[in-house]
Amino acid sequence: MATMSDTDSGELEQLLGRCAAQDPTALEQLYQRVAGILLAIVMRILRQRDLAEDALQDVFVRIWLQSRQYDQIRGRPLAWMISIARYRAIDLVRAQRRMVPLIEEDLPAQLIASDADTSEAGESSRTQSALQHCLDMLSAPQQQCLVLAYQEGLSHEAVATSLGHPLGTVKSWIRRGLQSLRKCLES
Amino acid sequence: MNYDRQDLLEPLAAEFVVGTLREGARRRFQRLCTVLPAARAARTRWEDRLAALALTLAPLTPRAQTWQAIHRQITATKVTSIEPRLRRRLWLPLAAAAAILGIAVWLGPRLLSPPTQVVAVLGADTQHPQWRIERTPDAHQLRVTTLAAMTSNPQKAFELWALPRDGKPPVSLGLLPRAGNATYPLSNAQGAAVLAAGNLAVSVEPAGGSPTGAPTGPVIMVGAVVVSS
Repeated sequence: MATMSDTDSGELEQLLGRCAAQDPTALEQLYQRVAGILLAIVMRILRQRDLAEDALQDVFVRIWLQSRQYDQIRGRPLAWMISIARYRAIDLVRAQRRMVPLIEEDLPAQLIASDADTSEAGESSRTQSALQHCLDMLSAPQQQCLVLAYQEGLSHEAVATSLGHPLGTVKSWIRRGLQSLRKCLES
Repeated sequence: MNYDRQDLLEPLAAEFVVGTLREGARRRFQRLCTVLPAARAARTRWEDRLAALALTLAPLTPRAQTWQAIHRQITATKVTSIEPRLRRRLWLPLAAAAAILGIAVWLGPRLLSPPTQVVAVLGADTQHPQWRIERTPDAHQLRVTTLAAMTSNPQKAFELWALPRDGKPPVSLGLLPRAGNATYPLSNAQGAAVLAAGNLAVSVEPAGGSPTGAPTGPVIMVGAVVVSS
């Protein structure tokens, strides 16, 4: 599968290497490059700006502290940082939902509103097009369930409720959708 | 790695990355990743495969204060000797993510006055001690003294944890006061955890404390337990 261009990954890897060597200017450069997209990711899951900014703060402190482990992971650097952001947001939102009903301060339309340039997102266009191509091979409901679960951080139950499908059906769409996606991306 | 096992790992890793594993299964898979390289590798592959989905979102501009807060935290970070000792332990992802942001003020035995013994003094740094933690000799009670006034969001709570030396998960010792002193009765399990702890830690939690029984928010202070006489 196509990946982000080597230069982009290489630069991000270099910055992570400098973070591992405790160079705060490297984290600042990483922040300038990826904070916008990571904020969008946690915002989509958390839906409250204050929480999302707090989460972003945690995410960068984690990137800083875990940068020494990055070279053992050998994934792509942006995907690694995205995962730190998504898992943090998912943990937070699930902990919150157990405590109190989620207060939706922001309308969905505002969630996708952009107030930053999209250059960083554009750099991975080849990765995106490979994934998009394979997503397009899925049935429409499989695709919809997967994207909703991944981007919004929803559980099977929440996806089923949002789309009005039975829980068992949603589970099987997601499971089979992932299987097909893997076959397609590996072919 | 035999084919059957890989066959089990792949769908588990996929649903972990998508976020659809239930809480218990999610934790079990996370733990599996800390001990099984094949699980970690499967997770990384799915993270790489699906990351492009996250990149379809339009970036937002973070508030200026967010970077300032990050910068303050990372420049206050002191790499102390506690990290290498804790490496390889199962709760390390948590500790590595957040530990080492605080350092303990060690108090010598001369400061210990019965009936309590100082366990640790926790603060952002040695110049700013925040809480003094003492215990009764039988570890049935914990006494906490607030050493500086807290100005922080009242919707957040500060939870105290004992970090066992043997790498077992952190044990909650309760919520820390924002002012004044507090005395907490400890259960036998909590008392044992205090006696066995190598470090105490403070995490930021929702009001009322961690909903999961494990730290969910950032760990803002970690302090070594004073080796008491």
